[in-house]
Amino acid sequence: MNKVIFAFLFLIISIQAFSQQPSRETIKGIIKDGDNNIAAFATVMLLNPHDSTLQNFTQTNVDGAFVFNNVRNTDYLLKVSHISFLPLQMHVSPSQTAINDLGVVAIKPIAKELFEVVIHEAKAPLSIRGDTIEYDATTFKAPPGSTVEDLLRRLPGIEVDASGNLKTQGKDVKRVYVDGKTFFGDDPTGATKNLDANAVAKVQVFDEKSEQSKLTGVDDGVKEKAMNLALKEEYKKGSFGKVTVAGGANEEGVARWAGRANYNRFNKTSQLSFIGYANNINETGVNWEDYNEFKGQSTFDDYDNGDFGFSTGRGRYYSFNSDDSPLNNFDGRGFTKNYGAGMNYNFDNKKTKLNTSYFYKNNQQNYDEFDYKETFFSDSSFFNHDTKHYNDMRQNHTVAARLEQNIDSNNVIIAKANFRYSIISSNEKMNNLYSVNETEVLNNLFTNNSLDKNSWKLTSAAIYRHKFKKKGRSFAVSGAYNRNPGGENDDLYSLNQFYIPTFAEEIHRLAKQDIDNQQIKASLLYTEPLSKRFFNEIFYNFNTQDNKVNDQVKDHLNSDARIDSLSVYYTNKVMINRLGTDFRYSYNGLNIMLGVAGQYLQMNGRYSVDKDLPLIIPPINKTYWSLSPKVAISNEFKNNMQVNFEYGYELTEPSFEYLQPTPNVQNPLYRIEGNIDLKPERTQTFSANYNYYNPASFSNFGVYADYSYCPDAISYNQTLMWVDSVGIVTVSKPYNNSKSNNVSCWMWTGYPIIKTKFTNDWNLGFNYGNSGSYVNDIFNKTDQYRYYINTAFNITPTQKLVITLSGRATLSSSKLSINTERDQFSQEYTAGLTVKWQFAKKSFFESNFNYQFYRNSQYSFDQNLPILNASVRQLIGKKNHFEIRLAAFDILNKRQYIEQYTSQNYYTHNSAATLARYFMLSFSYNINGYESKIKKQQYWEE
Amino acid sequence: MKRKYIWILLFILATGLFSAKSFAQQVQGSVKYLTTYDWVKMINSCSYLSKDRKDKTAYLWGNRSEWKVYNNLYFSSQRSKYENSEEKADPDDDEGYAGRKETFYLTRSYENKTYFDAIEMLGKVYLVSDSLKTPDWKILNDLKEVAGHVCMNASLTDTLLNEKIIAWFALDIPVQAGPDRFFGLPGLILEVSINNGAKTMTAEKIEMKELTKEFDLPKKLKGKQVNGAAYAAVIKKFLDEKRKAEEFPWGINY
Repeated sequence: MNKVIFAFLFLIISIQAFSQQPSRETIKGIIKDGDNNIAAFATVMLLNPHDSTLQNFTQTNVDGAFVFNNVRNTDYLLKVSHISFLPLQMHVSPSQTAINDLGVVAIKPIAKELFEVVIHEAKAPLSIRGDTIEYDATTFKAPPGSTVEDLLRRLPGIEVDASGNLKTQGKDVKRVYVDGKTFFGDDPTGATKNLDANAVAKVQVFDEKSEQSKLTGVDDGVKEKAMNLALKEEYKKGSFGKVTVAGGANEEGVARWAGRANYNRFNKTSQLSFIGYANNINETGVNWEDYNEFKGQSTFDDYDNGDFGFSTGRGRYYSFNSDDSPLNNFDGRGFTKNYGAGMNYNFDNKKTKLNTSYFYKNNQQNYDEFDYKETFFSDSSFFNHDTKHYNDMRQNHTVAARLEQNIDSNNVIIAKANFRYSIISSNEKMNNLYSVNETEVLNNLFTNNSLDKNSWKLTSAAIYRHKFKKKGRSFAVSGAYNRNPGGENDDLYSLNQFYIPTFAEEIHRLAKQDIDNQQIKASLLYTEPLSKRFFNEIFYNFNTQDNKVNDQVKDHLNSDARIDSLSVYYTNKVMINRLGTDFRYSYNGLNIMLGVAGQYLQMNGRYSVDKDLPLIIPPINKTYWSLSPKVAISNEFKNNMQVNFEYGYELTEPSFEYLQPTPNVQNPLYRIEGNIDLKPERTQTFSANYNYYNPASFSNFGVYADYSYCPDAISYNQTLMWVDSVGIVTVSKPYNNSKSNNVSCWMWTGYPIIKTKFTNDWNLGFNYGNSGSYVNDIFNKTDQYRYYINTAFNITPTQKLVITLSGRATLSSSKLSINTERDQFSQEYTAGLTVKWQFAKKSFFESNFNYQFYRNSQYSFDQNLPILNASVRQLIGKKNHFEIRLAAFDILNKRQYIEQYTSQNYYTHNSAATLARYFMLSFSYNINGYESKIKKQQYWEE
Repeated sequence: MKRKYIWILLFILATGLFSAKSFAQQVQGSVKYLTTYDWVKMINSCSYLSKDRKDKTAYLWGNRSEWKVYNNLYFSSQRSKYENSEEKADPDDDEGYAGRKETFYLTRSYENKTYFDAIEMLGKVYLVSDSLKTPDWKILNDLKEVAGHVCMNASLTDTLLNEKIIAWFALDIPVQAGPDRFFGLPGLILEVSINNGAKTMTAEKIEMKELTKEFDLPKKLKGKQVNGAAYAAVIKKFLDEKRKAEEFPWGINY
């Protein structure tokens, strides 16, 4: 009973107490420091004590007083901050009365030295956590190689005596921790004397319980100063790499093998990588992904083009230099053995970017090819049935370096050099069977040509860019030196056999060619802003090219006597001076450029039979003058639409091969002559495109079209004649023959049918081109049409299954005016299906099937290539470090090389055997482990 | 003697007027912010992209992943307006191509507790108006200087965009305004860092001046009128789709 009464009383009292505590309160107070100085205009905040969330805030008035009217009556963390005082935090309990007068709230002034040096000079954040004061050590620059002690000497509020003892706020620092852990026992100088200053990110100073109280667990109230050195987190430091070995065979037991390895190490500023491969499965180089990882941040270069002029004004672009790149570029014919290895080093600290690399490549190819060709006259034609056996070995050593030095934000220098040494040896044996119709064989020309070539090539350039104080005004200068000397030995054998009457002619020549090409370029560019939106550019380009060629041809069957009619020594020089200007308007997505350049082109050539012999023709001295306009307009519209238009006019000089007076005779039935009277080609080009994408619906659409016109295109006139005891001889000679028109259009679109699960894209293309040349003095106009259509459906029903269905058709037709009965129509169709399926946690099935059809009804050319590949792979190990893959290539054993095309006055189709069905088992190791996931298509920038 | 009194009277008047004026004068002015985007860090802060892809992006593009623009903020105690600046921030863009200016105006009225934004996003202009809800800022103890002002640290988590926001607000400019969509601190926000530097906005120049027409919006602002919830729903839908496609959600302007 007593208990009940007691409980009742308690309830009443507590209700009373509760009702006494108002639901809202007014909090007020006055802020002063220890010396009774008023803190006017201090920021006063009420925070939630549990998570520091800001609830309310105000400012003190001139008297240092603050008031929070009518706030919820609860627990608060009151926080006061002022630029001259250390931030203060105090707990405010719920008030029993409506007005909660805190009275004088005392705050401490901030140590002026700390404040001045840390906050104002070093611009370092100062962090105050209770007793701990922390600042960012990286902003106090210590010279490289400094110890932490050197760093600490620079820090405000810390004293370091001669023997390295530390003091702060007048007290000795008893302990130094590194990342919270003791370092070198109890001696605080152990860490400070030994640790590299550059490893330290933060220095934290705080009060710590004394050793005594830590041991006893009884707080004796004695606090000691301690310091913690927080180390830098090098977030971009690491390595990756993988190695794969694979072996297998085809049914005949021919071994197939492949190996690949790459290793990369990197930190924030540098990347070092190694790569190597060897195989006999027609991978002549590395794939794009491996190349990208190998080159790292130097895969793309910016600002690298030193040939200034008519820039469309894009400030930043990346260019990919495919010259000498070790990428896979197998042409589809025959069998290859491939070896390659390289290393790459990148350094980039934003001020200096350096890239150096070395690559060695060795490719050996051999194939047998069967070619069919019909060559048209005005009223008849002849045929070739050729068999070719080819083999070669190509070796390249490439050393490349590129340096970009940003001297300051207004000056940048780029210097780059690329050196390549190549060795090529090849042999080609060919039987050329000539006939006037499918059955009547005229003659068979057998040729056996070998080549050995050594050459080196240097390309180098330097660019300097300067920005003036005036925004938009800039100047750039560039220079380039390129050299490409080489020596070549050719052994050219031919045996021309006739069947009616039986007769044979044998020719055996040895040719030695020495070449030395040299090029020097220089360019200047000056940009002047005329207003915020108008710019003027003036540029000048100088380009001089010197070529020396000594081609000595000997008759091996006639005691190696020189053949004067085929030997030539020539030196020639091209010099181009171009001066141009353009005006640009750039504002709010509209960019217009109008420009004009005057070009003066000089060509000099001297031709003799050998180096010290008299000239065979008077020296060629030609000069051409041209004025070329340029227009470029682009506009961005709302809704991610963009339209571009460009017009240009160009003068292209005839190459010296076209001009040389001595013919090139690779075999007795085919002769190419030069033409000294050639004029440059003048080409006008128009292009336009339209782009649209809708990020919300994940779809895009684009159209591109261009048209070019050349009134004096250079093409080869052909004279086809029957020469007794030689056969059908083709003599080609270039002329500024005809008008040439080219049109091409492309359209593409991609859109989801079901977002993220089912997408469809389309590519459509159309090409039309005409050109003309004389065949036996009759003008032949060739019209060529090409239609292209491609569509693909990507289906991703789950994250574990990706299916792609695709179809493609390419239709080409050509019309020859000299022989209207020989209009050509050839077709090529491909249907494809790709499946990627993760059928267990670490198991994957991948397969693709491609069915290709080649058709040309006129020649009854009908080839079908169904190619099916399939593989399964299994990841092994806790972190998927290992992968085993079993793959079957070309399961239907159908793969071969096929090509057909029509040009000028002939049609040809070629075929060659290549790697068909084989099976392979591969083992891979990845130091970081493989991802247990189907790889999605990735964009190039990610 | 008379002259002495006149001088004193004049002095009192002058100081009185001056102090009256200085009290009457409200805090207003403009801030030029340098906005830096680091798309390697942006990709790194995307929760659903694979580690492999993030590492590779950092490895391939780590040292050239930034682009910079300027933004302007006009503020007073009552309101603010934030917009894109015409000035180019990236020195490489000085003489270059001029991209289209997207519609981007964020205005806030701290008096009426409302906002009106005109934002071009995913190919559409949205005119968003709603009442202002002050975010739950957490106040931390760090101090640092930004553009000559001592600032205090505050933090915020945006659950819609999955962003961790660190702001630095000035202790001596008692205005609630800030860059981008940020506001609601005891002082002008002079720096904001989102997701560890994926996007940062740092005040470069602060001018205390009387504002006249700076708060005005362009006369013809056309777009889809929505409230805050509807606008957030558009973003959420897009983010969900991009998450399913495992692609980075380029194109979000919040």
